[in-house]
Amino acid sequence: MKSIQEIFQKVFLLDILQGLLVTLKHYFSPKVTIQYPEKVKEPAARFRGILRLFRDERGEPLCIACKACQRICPTKCFEIEGARPEGGKILRPTRFDWKLDRCSFCGLCTEVCPTFAIRFSREFRMSLLAKEPLLFHLENMYIEGDALQDRLCGGCLE
Amino acid sequence: MTGLTLLFDVLIPGLKIAAVILYPMTMVIVMIWMERRVVAFIQGRLGPNRVGFQGILQPVADAMKLFFKEDIIPRQADRFLFNLAPVLVMVSSLLAFCFIPLGESFEIKGYAIELWIAQSPVGLLLVLGLSSIGVFGIIFGGWASNSKYPLMGALRSVVQVLSYEIPLGMTALTVVFFSRSMDLVAIVNNQKDAKVWFGFLLPASFLVFWISGIAETNRAPFDLPEAESELVAGYHTEYSGMKFAFFYIAEYAHMVLVSSLVVILFFGGWLPPFPNVKALAFLHGLPGFAWYLIKIMFFLYLYIWIRGTLPRYRFDVLIKLVWKWLIPLAVLNFVIVALAWYLL
Repeated sequence: MKSIQEIFQKVFLLDILQGLLVTLKHYFSPKVTIQYPEKVKEPAARFRGILRLFRDERGEPLCIACKACQRICPTKCFEIEGARPEGGKILRPTRFDWKLDRCSFCGLCTEVCPTFAIRFSREFRMSLLAKEPLLFHLENMYIEGDALQDRLCGGCLE
Repeated sequence: MTGLTLLFDVLIPGLKIAAVILYPMTMVIVMIWMERRVVAFIQGRLGPNRVGFQGILQPVADAMKLFFKEDIIPRQADRFLFNLAPVLVMVSSLLAFCFIPLGESFEIKGYAIELWIAQSPVGLLLVLGLSSIGVFGIIFGGWASNSKYPLMGALRSVVQVLSYEIPLGMTALTVVFFSRSMDLVAIVNNQKDAKVWFGFLLPASFLVFWISGIAETNRAPFDLPEAESELVAGYHTEYSGMKFAFFYIAEYAHMVLVSSLVVILFFGGWLPPFPNVKALAFLHGLPGFAWYLIKIMFFLYLYIWIRGTLPRYRFDVLIKLVWKWLIPLAVLNFVIVALAWYLL
């Protein structure tokens, strides 16, 4: 036995109208899409982006060219040469090549580094059209300015 | 005077012929864009908004892509029917636009310009007939592809379109009862004289006609012939490039056609709303074509809105709906309208 309400609902297609109202409400709802090149979603706190060399508070480079990262790297990303600057006590890198196209982002270099000089940044925008820019030299391994320090991987700062 | 005669006798018909092709095409472009944007909005996304203003040129870009794509014909396909099918679908839906009146006729220097190509005393019948020729294109396409999904899609489409044609015709007949004419122009003029749109006199007819119209055009929630989750793409699975685009455009043109029919039969075609209310007389300021456009845009939007809302029917439910509900309802409606006409 069908109730009058049920018959009413069938004849006037009330359930369909209800459904249409639900979609109309969603039509005006805020949209979840992030329009990428204009708006960039912040990566997760411990996101592993490209590797960077780091300086201490006084702006002195931390890397001592011990080549620990070069030795442990499973894909042989690094080519490092070090020399003692004139009058200086600490070894400094004169050449620090990192091949992005070989890196597997395993993070062994950041773990093995005795001075925490090499760390992950949270920069993920590294798609390129040519192969040459995938080779990073010493000068472009350093993070410049404070803005990029915010983009350091959270896990490496601990 | 010869120059003027030449203008009116050659140029105007030429322009009208161009318009009858360009008008559905423009509507198809707007429709494809609107569909993608509106469905995206309903789903909380943004949809295409990069090509042109708010992505309005996205369908044009898609068409360009399809134009340059490789035209693949399966080796085992029936080549003649395979090539004929998209043409049939396209021609049938474009040809029907010849009989659709877009607005009032007006006069320039004593020369009447009508916003339709052909006025026929059986215009409604012709439009319905032409639009169902399209189903042959779908059968041929599904059969000639020599592949199982297109064949299944074509079979579903035939069963569906043939079943839903019955309530469609039955409810269109009730309008003919009131207007005493199958001429689409006369039907609109009758609504003008009656000062009421037939949709308000015959709400049941309108509802059945609209539901059947959605099923006729194979749209959601009746899009079983091209159910993506079951049949890949239905009858046009094996088509690529411009032939696929023909099927795609024809489907949208068919939607515009059904919306136009609904507007003409039930909502007064190019007539402005509220003809009796003096305070709203300024509504008559807009030309008839604008009112016609506003009305069909509402129904095209409704198409998309329904698609974004309702899930697809199961096939047996679909057939049950038409044979157990819509056809009896249409017959009952027809009998009641006929009785009312003769008794009152």
